Amino acid sequence: MEKILTKQTFPQWIEKLKSYTIYAPVKDEGHWSYEILEDAASISPEYPNAVESPKKIIFPQREILFDFGSQENTGVAVNENLPAEQPTVIFGVRPCDAKALTLTDKVFSGDFEDPYYWKRRNAAVLVGLACNTPPSPNCFCLSVNGSPFSKEGLDVLLTDLGDAYFVEVLTEKGEQLVGAAGNLFSDTPDKTKSEVKKLRTEAEKKITRQVKDADRIPAKLKEIFDEPFWEDEALGCIRCGICTYLCPTCHCFDINDEVASNSPLKGKRVRTWDNCQFPDFTMHSSGHNPRPDKASRLRQRISHKYNYFVELYNEYQCTGCGRCIDKCPVGIDIIEVLNKVNEYGA
Amino acid sequence: MEHNEYIPKPAKLISIKEEVGGARAIKTFRTQFIDEHSFSHQCGQCAMLSVFGKGEAMISISSSPLQKDYHQFSILKTGRVTSALHEMVEGDTIGIRGPYGNHFPIDEWKGKNLVFIGGGIGLAPIWSVLQTALGKKEDYGELTLFYGSRTSKDQVFREELKELKKKMTVHLSVDVEEPGWQEFVGFVPANIKDKAPNPENTITVTCGPPIMIKFAILALQEFGFKDEQLYTTVENKMKCGIGKCGRCNIGPHYVCKDGPVYSWAELKNLPQEY
Repeated sequence: MEKILTKQTFPQWIEKLKSYTIYAPVKDEGHWSYEILEDAASISPEYPNAVESPKKIIFPQREILFDFGSQENTGVAVNENLPAEQPTVIFGVRPCDAKALTLTDKVFSGDFEDPYYWKRRNAAVLVGLACNTPPSPNCFCLSVNGSPFSKEGLDVLLTDLGDAYFVEVLTEKGEQLVGAAGNLFSDTPDKTKSEVKKLRTEAEKKITRQVKDADRIPAKLKEIFDEPFWEDEALGCIRCGICTYLCPTCHCFDINDEVASNSPLKGKRVRTWDNCQFPDFTMHSSGHNPRPDKASRLRQRISHKYNYFVELYNEYQCTGCGRCIDKCPVGIDIIEVLNKVNEYGA
Repeated sequence: MEHNEYIPKPAKLISIKEEVGGARAIKTFRTQFIDEHSFSHQCGQCAMLSVFGKGEAMISISSSPLQKDYHQFSILKTGRVTSALHEMVEGDTIGIRGPYGNHFPIDEWKGKNLVFIGGGIGLAPIWSVLQTALGKKEDYGELTLFYGSRTSKDQVFREELKELKKKMTVHLSVDVEEPGWQEFVGFVPANIKDKAPNPENTITVTCGPPIMIKFAILALQEFGFKDEQLYTTVENKMKCGIGKCGRCNIGPHYVCKDGPVYSWAELKNLPQEY
């Protein structure tokens, strides 16, 4: 289903979605961030992309898995703490970030479905905003089977036409959302389609950064696993972890106990994001560390995204959002690294 | 209610036995679930043990699946959780989830000779498969155990090893000479070379420190053992146990779910990140 929604009536649509918790990019001290929307009028299509992807809404940086405490008969009582199934709309999701969630879905499925992830994921409706202008100079979605107008993983895709949005309703969840205020949406004039196509072609032209021959990279990564290449590339790394923290596809986590009282015992088991760039991520309690240096950890980050994940799921675990390049304090640039991987030894 | 794999099931410590004292203390814990709970494991699988308030650690199940009365874990005191476990007393409650991982393909090994090679606490994962083979002795050929420890005081299952000698061939070793020691002195790979096991129709299972595994496998290869005849277990740091938290991987393999049991034919092709 394709519709038109004028920008003027856009806030009225939001008003109709009272039963949902609504997240949208909000500008705070110069940074765009997905926050719960307080005022429909404050929603703006003018943002590039949020510093952190909407991953944090579905898979929060810290969450309580369960509470535990002393109990007379069994010694310890465990109380599961699953998130509520609160219908949620996330507005302004960039196509790369929507695609990223489809990749994370794969990790949290399989033999063991992750109920914490899926409670939030199933309750979320993703309303995308096509990138008429690439949000970052380091965007490279075209190299990894993405596009600034990709619909993958979205329920609704909006395209900014100036005074109005072109609204593509892509799923049943999307239909419900648009159906909540059906009268606000009008039919699409014939010329709109060609207008959108033109916007798309122009947007794609503006993406200048490129990973060349990405399909050759998985095999090449295997080939150069033991090469000194990785030491050179990782030399500048200061192990800050911003690359994986901001990555919309990184999902690694830690589980720890937080104790409020020892006697009687009372505490929580907590899951938090973790980071493969940190030395203790893989360190055994004996002190032995299978990935003992920056080189092996950079190699892990790149190999996971461009080799292991491809082997497991036949997709790159990278959507070309460019955040890890934008924010790396020492200029480690995944596009450059990948292009060098391809050229290595050639 | 949907299944939540992160929730541990409460279990009582029904017995605690000190195997080794001192700085590298080892204790053997037997557990029983408090509520009816189906937990049937296979040889080589692991379980995530919780000490509530301290966290979780992945531990190999050292009892045989044939043992239905309890589950057994032999644990070296080394990190936060295992140190807390060593402080616990009989009757205390821990949490258990699992079992996790793959297992030794013992059904495929029927009719074959089995050589078990353990070093230190590495006897724990072997113990499950060894007891199972002993329990179904008629299914297997000759059973042999090589077991080495730093000193005789560092041996686990010391009493059980004495009993074991009546049932199968046992080659013990200690790393350095000590008064009263009658058996082999030296590292496990040297003991293997000394006893020269025959590769014909034989499967080997090696568990222990990575360096011991490496040299034990080299020693076995010298006698003509093929990669498919050499089995070992791998361990890496784990948090979730279900292939999601992302730290125990060796290439695309998650040791928690795709391991811990590997044949050398598989392991030799994976990156050496263990």
